[in-house]
Amino acid sequence: MNLKKMLFIDRRIIYLLVAAGALYPIIRPIGLPVIPTKPVAALYDAVEKMGPENAVIVSFDYGPSSEPELNPMAGAILRHLFLRKIKVVVLALFPLGGNEEAKSELNKVVDEYDLQYGVDYVNLGYKEGGQAVMKRMAISIADVFPVDVDGRPTADMPIMAQAKNYSDISLLISLATGIIGEWWANLVNPQFGVPVSVGCTAVSAPKYYAYLRAGQMMSLLGGLKGASEYEKLLKDGYASVRQTYEKPEEKKASATTGMDVQSIVHVIIIAFIVFGNVIFFATRKEGSK
Amino acid sequence: MIPIGIWVNALLTLCILSFLYKDNPFFRFAESLFAGLSLGYYIGLTMQNTLRPNLLNPVIHEFGVNFNYLLIIPAALGILLYFRYIPRISWMARIALAVYVGYYSGVTLVQKLHGEILPQARDTVLPVTHGGANALWNIIMIIGVFSVLIYFYFSAEHKGALGRVSRVGIWFLMISFGASFGYTVMARVSLLMGRFSFLVNTWIRPMISG
Amino acid sequence: MKRTVPLVLTFIIGMYPIFAFFVPHRIASDLNDRLDTWLIIVAAFALPLGAVNVFMINLSKISQRRKGWPYSIVILAGLVVMGSIGIAGAYRQDSIGQFQYLFQNIVSPLQSTMFSLLSFYVASAAYRAFRARNLDAGILLVSAIVVMMGRIPFGDMLSHGSMTPLSEWLMTIPNTAAQRGIIIGAALGAASMSIRIILGIERTYLGSGKD
Repeated sequence: MNLKKMLFIDRRIIYLLVAAGALYPIIRPIGLPVIPTKPVAALYDAVEKMGPENAVIVSFDYGPSSEPELNPMAGAILRHLFLRKIKVVVLALFPLGGNEEAKSELNKVVDEYDLQYGVDYVNLGYKEGGQAVMKRMAISIADVFPVDVDGRPTADMPIMAQAKNYSDISLLISLATGIIGEWWANLVNPQFGVPVSVGCTAVSAPKYYAYLRAGQMMSLLGGLKGASEYEKLLKDGYASVRQTYEKPEEKKASATTGMDVQSIVHVIIIAFIVFGNVIFFATRKEGSK
Repeated sequence: MIPIGIWVNALLTLCILSFLYKDNPFFRFAESLFAGLSLGYYIGLTMQNTLRPNLLNPVIHEFGVNFNYLLIIPAALGILLYFRYIPRISWMARIALAVYVGYYSGVTLVQKLHGEILPQARDTVLPVTHGGANALWNIIMIIGVFSVLIYFYFSAEHKGALGRVSRVGIWFLMISFGASFGYTVMARVSLLMGRFSFLVNTWIRPMISG
Repeated sequence: MKRTVPLVLTFIIGMYPIFAFFVPHRIASDLNDRLDTWLIIVAAFALPLGAVNVFMINLSKISQRRKGWPYSIVILAGLVVMGSIGIAGAYRQDSIGQFQYLFQNIVSPLQSTMFSLLSFYVASAAYRAFRARNLDAGILLVSAIVVMMGRIPFGDMLSHGSMTPLSEWLMTIPNTAAQRGIIIGAALGAASMSIRIILGIERTYLGSGKD
């Protein structure tokens, strides 16, 4: 066998193997176990301690490119917040799609609970400005968002009396891709003292461990694994949620099912790395002889 | 009957995936469509979510009654930004740019110093003499942070003691880059899973089952 | 004058958030709050600037029949259609529905699929380029494999439950140490760039000095 030729195999064969590895668990789910970790459990425990007297901001700071990782996270977190009857203020600061992700996830989850818009939850929509918006919300959230996502005035909504500004907010959860999650942790948390939890794409997670350790984030959910861990905690804690995730549509879209694909493709890529290095060292040895 | 939106969704997905075989007109068409629509989306989003509620509504509905006249200032600044396209008076766009860049520079300075450097430096001052295994991890943390910072100090040549310490910094950076690679793989695979899950569960399965 | 006034404005507006951060008096914070409100509106005007740029570049490409000009028609058509529906959506409910429909069925899948291509490239790069040629590359490789195995259930199944704690330790201690060094270094760089802009040393944002 010509080992050197194997180093330069057509990349489309590699693509086919990856595609096959990703398709198999989608067609025939495996159901691998998930073990929660401390950074994720910290958010679960914090929400468990809250109730109807608390108001939480959930900021949708991601778009379609992060949907598969962050939608399951959003669904699990919203379900938990609504089960605890916590007041939820939803907004979006990510321009390309944050608004749409907020609407679709919120509309999907609220149907499962007996909630009143404007009293139990509100969707304030998207706003430009990034840091300017974050700073202004310390004075008045209703001033920044004078109308909600559908154009209804927010000032008179009962929920806004419980969420006037940051001093009324018990926790801020950002579901983020890119820099916006960092801004919540390095601008809002140190300057205004709001506890911040970030659910981020796996690309951002290694950097965010530094903010987690420094206490600027009180919890961190990294990528699809973080979402699957939160789903596991929620299913273990609430029988109603377990039943929800047993439904075929929810099961297919859940992070736990997605971890099957992760597992197979990770093994394929690790095999590529190991195999590539074995051939590299073998050909190097041949060359030196 | 599968809705037409799902068909459009699926066919455009296949157009993009066709690039894996080779560059082709279907991919280029889908790429151009994405570029145009996403830019148009920004315009619509800006109008619906910010300009109308925060500027136009107060101007139209509150003018003469309760109007905040100072809103004319940001409106004028925003319009000035577009003067860059008129060559004779393009210099006026600099005024708006100066306000925009100046504001975000001031905010960023405070954010970086107060929100990044101080908390991160504070959390690096860790106990090393008690706490069992935690003391050992704290020592590793302190060595790691200092050696990486020394590695990024390029005003002196990395030789002698400085060179040895920056070597340690490189090892820490390699561990971090390896971790980042692992997490990046996870992120990209999640995206692939999302698209394949849509194609199989939302398009192909309903098509087969009728 | 055409460059001095903007530089003076940059200084005054740039210093104000810093001044307001340290001075708790109401006068300082009131104007700072006003600035925050104004910049939300200015940022809204700034976002479509890119779209205007793209519009003009592609229009000239079509008029001059440069290479790839048919695709420029697609770009412009998409921009005009989506932009018009979006602006109409600020005033008409049915236009909002159309706007969201186009986003969910065209923009969203296109963006997701483009990013998903990266998973194939990562796999190809892992096989062709990821080599333990020296100690540094070996450390990177081992770290990557530990983290990847720690993120999937197979890792714990093969290592009797020790892969997840090992991976978490690696993320929390050595990775955090390195990332912290990078964060501090990058923050110092960003802070010094901000000071340079505010003091007028860095002027590239003003464009060329022809007028």
